[in-house]
Amino acid sequence: MSNRLSWFINRFLRPAFGRAYVRIKGGNREPSWILWEILLPLIMITSVIWAYENMGAPEFFKGFVIIGGAMMSYWYNVLWGMGRTLYWEKETGNLEVFLLSDAPLPSLLLGMALGGMFNTTLRSIAVIILGVVVFKAEFNVDYLPLAILIFILTLVALYGVGLALSGLHIVYGRMGVRINELLDEPIMFLSGQYYPISTFPMALQYIAGLIPLAVGLDGVRRALLFSEGIDALWLHVLVLFILMIVFYPIGLRILNKIVERGRMDGRLILRWI
Amino acid sequence: MLITIETRDLVRIFKHGDKEFRALDKVSIQVPEGVIYGLLGPNGAGKTTLIRILTTLLLPSDGDAYVGGYHVVRDANKVRKIINLVSGGERPGYGILTVRENLMYYGQVYGLSWGETKRRIEEVNELLHLDEFLDKRLNSISTGMMQKYALARGLLNHPQILFLDEPTLGLDVQNARHIRRVIKHLIEDKEIRTILLTSHYMAEVEELCDIVSIIDRGRIIATGSPDELRKMVKDEIIYNIDVRLSDIDRIRILRRFRTVVGYTIKTRQLTGEARIRMILSGEDIARIIRTLEEENIHVLRVTRDEVSLEDVFLRLVGRGLEDEYE
Ligand SMILES: Nc1ncnc2c1ncn2[C@@H]1O[C@H](COP(=O)(O)OP(=O)(O)OP(=O)(O)O)[C@@H](O)[C@H]1O
Ligand SMILES: [Mg+2]
Repeated sequence: MSNRLSWFINRFLRPAFGRAYVRIKGGNREPSWILWEILLPLIMITSVIWAYENMGAPEFFKGFVIIGGAMMSYWYNVLWGMGRTLYWEKETGNLEVFLLSDAPLPSLLLGMALGGMFNTTLRSIAVIILGVVVFKAEFNVDYLPLAILIFILTLVALYGVGLALSGLHIVYGRMGVRINELLDEPIMFLSGQYYPISTFPMALQYIAGLIPLAVGLDGVRRALLFSEGIDALWLHVLVLFILMIVFYPIGLRILNKIVERGRMDGRLILRWI
Repeated sequence: MLITIETRDLVRIFKHGDKEFRALDKVSIQVPEGVIYGLLGPNGAGKTTLIRILTTLLLPSDGDAYVGGYHVVRDANKVRKIINLVSGGERPGYGILTVRENLMYYGQVYGLSWGETKRRIEEVNELLHLDEFLDKRLNSISTGMMQKYALARGLLNHPQILFLDEPTLGLDVQNARHIRRVIKHLIEDKEIRTILLTSHYMAEVEELCDIVSIIDRGRIIATGSPDELRKMVKDEIIYNIDVRLSDIDRIRILRRFRTVVGYTIKTRQLTGEARIRMILSGEDIARIIRTLEEENIHVLRVTRDEVSLEDVFLRLVGRGLEDEYE
C-alpha cells in the first residue's frame, strides 16, 4: 500500500469513522430523536400537503414536498451540524485533545458530517416511506440511480460548504450561531423546500445555483417526479461538481488559518463563554 | 544520557490589550530519557504555557523546543505521534457515551484499528483498573474515575513521552495517591519512557520526580534532584511554629529578625490553628519565641523539621509556593 493511501486510511478516514461512530451512537441513544427528526417533519409536511390539496395542486406536488422535507434536514443536520458541533467541541476542550493527535481537523469534520448524514438518511427514509404510505405519493424509481448520484454529489458539496462555515463558527463563536439563523430563512427560501425554484425570476435562480442543496434538490425532484434523465440534468451534475471542488479548498484554507491563529495567540484552546 | 525534551531560551509573550506579558522568559530545560521530570511552581508561573508549547498546542514567541528530537513548530506532526497530554480536571469526550465507547473513539483518532483499540483498552485496563466504570456513561462517573479515564486516553496511543499537567488536581487524598502510584509504575515498567509533569503540590513532586525545575514568573530558578535542591538550604534551620488563628495578623513582626530568611503560613480552619514554617539562617529560635510571647502571640507548639522543596522555593523566591497574598 502506498504511503499516501495508508495515511489517508489511517489518519483521515479512521478518525472520521470514529467521530461518525460517536455521533451515530450518541444520536440514537435517547429515543427523543423520533419526535424531533420524524414526527415534527411529518407534521410540517402534512400541513403543506393539505394546503396544496385544498388549492387543487397537481398530484406530483405531494412527492415534491416529501422530497423537499426529507432533503432539507441535511441542511440542518450536516451543514449547520458541523459548525455547531465544532464550536461545542472547542468549548468543551474536546477540540484541544483532538489537536494533540496528528489527525487532520477536516477528518474530524468529515466524521461529524458522515455521522449526521447517516442519522439523517435513516430518518429521511422513514419520512419518505411514511409519505408514500400515508399520502400515496408516487416516484419514478427508474431514475433512482441518477437521483442518488445527484444526491451524493450534493452531500459532498455540502461537506465543503460545511468546512467553510465551521470556520465562521469558531471565529465568531456565538455570533456564528446568529449568522446561521440570519442565513436560514433566505436559504430555505432559495432552496425551494416546498416549491420549484423554476418559478423564481432568473436572477434568483442563479443565486440559488450557488447553494448545493437547491441544485441537488431540484435535480432529485426532476429525476424522481418528472422522469428527466442525464440528458436534461447534466448541468445539475456539473454545477454540483464545480461547487464541490470550489468549496472544499476554501473551507480547508479557512480552517487551517484559524488553527494557526489559535496556536499563535493561544485562543483556540481557551474556553471562553 | 539521551535528552528527550529540550528547550532553548524559550519565550512566550501574551498580549493583554496593548500590554505585553511574558509568561515564559528564556526557559531552558533538558529532560533525559527514563525520568519523571517535575515542573514546580505557584499559580501563573507558566507551567501550563510551557507544556502547551511542548505539546504543539501553542506557538512559542521566541526560542526553540525539541521533543523526541523533533522541533515543536517545524515538525509538529512528528511530535504529536509520540506524545500525549493529560491535564488534571479535564473532561474530554462525550457524556452520553460510555467510557469504553469514548476510548474506542480516541483509539480511532490515534489511528489504531478497531481491533487494536479493543486490545489496547484491555492493556490499559490492566494498568489502571477501569473495570468498575468502563461501561458506565461518561457523564455519570466520579471525579476520581474521570481522572483515570483521562489517563487511559493518554496511554492509548503508546506515547513515548507523556505530559501531565497537574495530574491530581481536585482529587481526594486516596485517589491522588492512586494516580501517583500509577504514574510511578508507568516509568518503572517502561510503559512510558519519559514523563514531564507539573504540580504545585510539593509532596507530589518530591515523591515522584527524579529531576525538578522550580519555575516562578516564567523563569526557571533552580533545577536538580529533590536531594540536590534540598541541599540548597543546608545551612539553614527549619522550624514549624503552631499558633492560634486569631493571632495570625500580628505575625509580621517576624520580619524584624535578620535570621528569618522567610516564612509561610498555612491555616487550618478546622482546628483554629495556623502553622508558621520558618527558615532561619542561624539558631535563634529561643529569642523569636520570647518575642512572640511578649507580643501576646500564644505559641502552641514548636518543632524542628527537615528541609523540603517548599523551603527551597521559599529560600529562592522569598515567598511560599502556595502563598498568593505576599
Ligand atoms: N491564552 C492566554 N492569553 C493570555 N494570557 C495567558 C494565556 N494563557 C496563559 N496566560 C497567562 O500566562 C501566565 C501563566 O499561565 P499558566 O497557565 O502557564 O500558569 P501555570 O503555572 O500553569 O498556573 P496554574 O498553577 O494556575 O495552572 C498567567 O498569568 C496567565 O494569565
Ligand atoms: Mg496550569
